[in-house]
Amino acid sequence: MIYCSQAISLTYRLGLLDPDQGQVQVYGRPAAHAVAAGLVGAMLQDAGLMPGVRVGELLAMVRSLYPRPLPLDDLVGVADLGSLLRRRVDRLSGGQAQRVRFAAAIAGDPQLLVLDEPTAAMDVQARRNFWQQIRAFAGRGRTVLFATHYLHEADDAADRVVVIAAGRKIADGSPSAIKASFGDRQVRFTVDPGSPVSLAALAGVRAVEQRGTRVTLHSSDPDATVTSLVGSGLQWSDLEVGGLDLEASFLQLLGGQS
Amino acid sequence: MTGFVTLEMRRSLRDVRYLVIAVALPIGLYLLFAGLFGSHGQRAQGLPQSVELMVAMIAYGAMWAVFSATGPRIAHERAIGWTRQLRVTPLTPASALAGKLGTALAVALPAMLLVCLTAVLSHHVALSAAQWLTLLTVMWAGVLPLALLGLAIGYLVTEEIAFPLLMALYFAFGSLGGLWMPLSAMPRAMQDIGRALPSNGLAELGWRIVGGQASVSTAVLVLAAWLLGSALAAWLAYRRRARMATS
Repeated sequence: MIYCSQAISLTYRLGLLDPDQGQVQVYGRPAAHAVAAGLVGAMLQDAGLMPGVRVGELLAMVRSLYPRPLPLDDLVGVADLGSLLRRRVDRLSGGQAQRVRFAAAIAGDPQLLVLDEPTAAMDVQARRNFWQQIRAFAGRGRTVLFATHYLHEADDAADRVVVIAAGRKIADGSPSAIKASFGDRQVRFTVDPGSPVSLAALAGVRAVEQRGTRVTLHSSDPDATVTSLVGSGLQWSDLEVGGLDLEASFLQLLGGQS
Repeated sequence: MTGFVTLEMRRSLRDVRYLVIAVALPIGLYLLFAGLFGSHGQRAQGLPQSVELMVAMIAYGAMWAVFSATGPRIAHERAIGWTRQLRVTPLTPASALAGKLGTALAVALPAMLLVCLTAVLSHHVALSAAQWLTLLTVMWAGVLPLALLGLAIGYLVTEEIAFPLLMALYFAFGSLGGLWMPLSAMPRAMQDIGRALPSNGLAELGWRIVGGQASVSTAVLVLAAWLLGSALAAWLAYRRRARMATS
């Protein structure tokens, strides 16, 4: 299972901060106890690695902190560290350091892996590899909870998405369920500037976005919208009809809030 | 916890700053001063030069060993987020703190022993087995206030300040505390300041032990006061950081 949530709640979840009200429970116990019992592993944003040691030494030390660590060979395989074990931690590239952080986070074979903006500093290839590694880890029957600003990442990787805005939960479900809950589709086309027809008046249109000559209509009934577009006398071209992506759904959710 | 302390010790012993300042410098100063002033000259304590200097340099090396393993390292680890990462492992914050302290004390020992070895080899310093044992045990325990002071500074100040601040304290405690030259050679007011420093307390303990003098009350009092003060400061600084949680 892979969940996606929002960043700030993660620090509470891990017991790094105490909530003002209420309490945070993980696996039926306070968050800090779950961490102490080795049930939780985490990759925090901008978290560093112990300086002045080799990658192999660091991972051996982190494994020794957990009651049931993953075998070192598994760790090296999952995080793709084969050639790095003898490298000094201070001499790693950004992507390599992130792999070592990932290995440290799963060293204890935690039930729950928490990732806070895990791919923020990665290039496209590294990001793709990383999500493959995460899926491999989740495939062992583990839960992964991550926070991200890249909504397409949540769309691609998460089984369940929780959207929190201004401190309130505004959506909770699978990415496809969230997208489907709007029932909206997008109708895109290019139009001559200065057209007299009001695009918002076309059948089924709920929202209009226009960038230059490119128009995106959010429609509850794309068939009706296209029919009325054809009958409108507008000069249009490059018609596309498609679903909303998660980012557009998210923006609609936020729009509905205000 | 064992794995954590072992790795902390290993990286401390590899640290160039530790090797140069805590190990090589006291040995070099010992050879220089003991060579300059001769093996048989006496200083204020009524001890042979070679022995008195040995005790002073044990204190000096041990002081930097515990400083280098605490303050600059803790401040650096807070800055790069290692402290935070460690907090999401099963290692409790209290164990991490105890581990740091244990490491600091552990790396003080080689620095102390190597000064003794140098003194024995170069100036044939000879003490009874009981004296060696008492000297090293008592001085080792006496380093604790300095280790706690380093810990407090590591949690109180930023990375940029921690290293120069501890370096300044190291030289101030060394010179004013009578490790470079006897306090008796200094003006009265300076002597009073010197006697209140933990470095002087530490060396004084050693001088009394090798000189066979029983009364060590002032030095013990000074060290006890520094122990309480440093422990309190370290505890408060640590709690403040823990509450901020982000660093």
